[in-house]
Amino acid sequence: MHHSVELTDVHVRLGPVDVLSGINIEARPCEFVSVVGANGAGKTTLLKVVNGTLRPSEGRVSVLGHDLSQNNRLNFLRRDIGVVPQRSNSVRFPIRVEEAVLMGRYGKIGLMRRPRKEDWDKAFEIMEAVGIRQFCKKLVHELSGGEQQKVALARALAQEPLILLLDEPTTYLDSSAQSEIMETIHTLHHQRELTTLLVSHDAHLVEQYSDKIYLLKEGKSCLVK
Amino acid sequence: MSWTEILRFPFMQHALVAILFAGIAFPMIGVFILSLNLIPLRFAMMHVALLGGAIGLFLKVDPLLLGLLFCILSSMALGPISEKMKLGVGILSGYFMTLTLALAFILIYKADIHVLEAFNILWGNILSLTILDLIIVGLISLMILVMVFLFFKEIQAILYDREIAMAVGLPEKSFYYLIIFMLGLTIAVSMRMIGALLIDAFILLPAMAATLISRSLKQTFFFSSLFGLLSGMAGLILSFFLDIPTSSTIILVASLIIAGCFLFRRRLSSYAKAR
Repeated sequence: MHHSVELTDVHVRLGPVDVLSGINIEARPCEFVSVVGANGAGKTTLLKVVNGTLRPSEGRVSVLGHDLSQNNRLNFLRRDIGVVPQRSNSVRFPIRVEEAVLMGRYGKIGLMRRPRKEDWDKAFEIMEAVGIRQFCKKLVHELSGGEQQKVALARALAQEPLILLLDEPTTYLDSSAQSEIMETIHTLHHQRELTTLLVSHDAHLVEQYSDKIYLLKEGKSCLVK
Repeated sequence: MSWTEILRFPFMQHALVAILFAGIAFPMIGVFILSLNLIPLRFAMMHVALLGGAIGLFLKVDPLLLGLLFCILSSMALGPISEKMKLGVGILSGYFMTLTLALAFILIYKADIHVLEAFNILWGNILSLTILDLIIVGLISLMILVMVFLFFKEIQAILYDREIAMAVGLPEKSFYYLIIFMLGLTIAVSMRMIGALLIDAFILLPAMAATLISRSLKQTFFFSSLFGLLSGMAGLILSFFLDIPTSSTIILVASLIIAGCFLFRRRLSSYAKAR
């Protein structure tokens, strides 16, 4: 399977606004690629295009060897794409950390099927790797912002994805927590041989971890590293 | 008249059976409404059911069946329309809510529908349920319970975060439309049981009470069903001994339960955690 992400001349229009106008980005297998840009540059829109939530008005998006514009089985494709969204879920929903992490496997477990012991083992293994095993019985909304980000990361990894998408994973975190989460992401990227696409507004933070860095500005992308 | 004597009457037996079914299942819809912020949609469905009921009275067709039909059709349409037009569910619900309410009252006025019949649409009457009503309530309750049991993990993901549910590869849109569809059915049937204006209390208040003390979705469903059953049964029994309207008594008991949960939230939460 092609373990990569390729955007070729992608345009995205939301209402009257051209959010992305000619994006060319490639993440080869096992590469750690960062896309940096100011707030409102279209970083989140970019990730939504990669996981098929948004269809581009022009251009080609290829993920894991599949052209997304031709693909009607996005749910199956998404099972191999782990997503760490930007905002933490601030709603007081009663869910424990272990359940929230296990949720990453729901797509692969299948409809109407109960999680098996192997699924729980995988979830606990991921929690251990990310460093949140000790919180497993706590409710997610009782955790700090940084801990909630780790839960989101663990959930994405519990999917056993081939591609990992991260939307500003260090938002809401202080500087020491930012470094900690980036180290965790980078370590797990190598351990699990992922293709990682991370978007951030902080170029200095991501520079040391990235194989490639694209700058997103005025709807266009430019390779800077 | 003693309680055992009252129980011999078919209308009382019907009411008890309806409360047994609906008290357990309908508050689960309340959990969906609260978790997905579907309160505007709930109002819209209520008013659509009201319009259907008014048309039913005008055409001399069973208002419950027509209210059900209108809710089925609108609940099938609202979700896809809001996604297609990229309009929030709240905005679209507001449109449907005001439009259908206006049409319902125009019809009630112009068709010269009797005031008491019009009030029955608004208030409902749990003591006048037929066998057909019970069958419908039973079927819808069973559908809700089966849906929650079979698709618990999918529902949990969608109630937690729809974007995450989609991201992990679940058919999120299909389940969201299914939830809206079940909401529409439940609202229509509830309208018949306790009336359009009091639906909130039967569906929402038990769910609200449950969310105050629960530490998991399973607990939320369990407590919402328990409180739904309790408020229904207690309301029915108390209404006879106190000689006050049954629907209103159910509402009062549900309100007391939620007030009690609010006041004793910390104490009850520790107990729920220990379970």
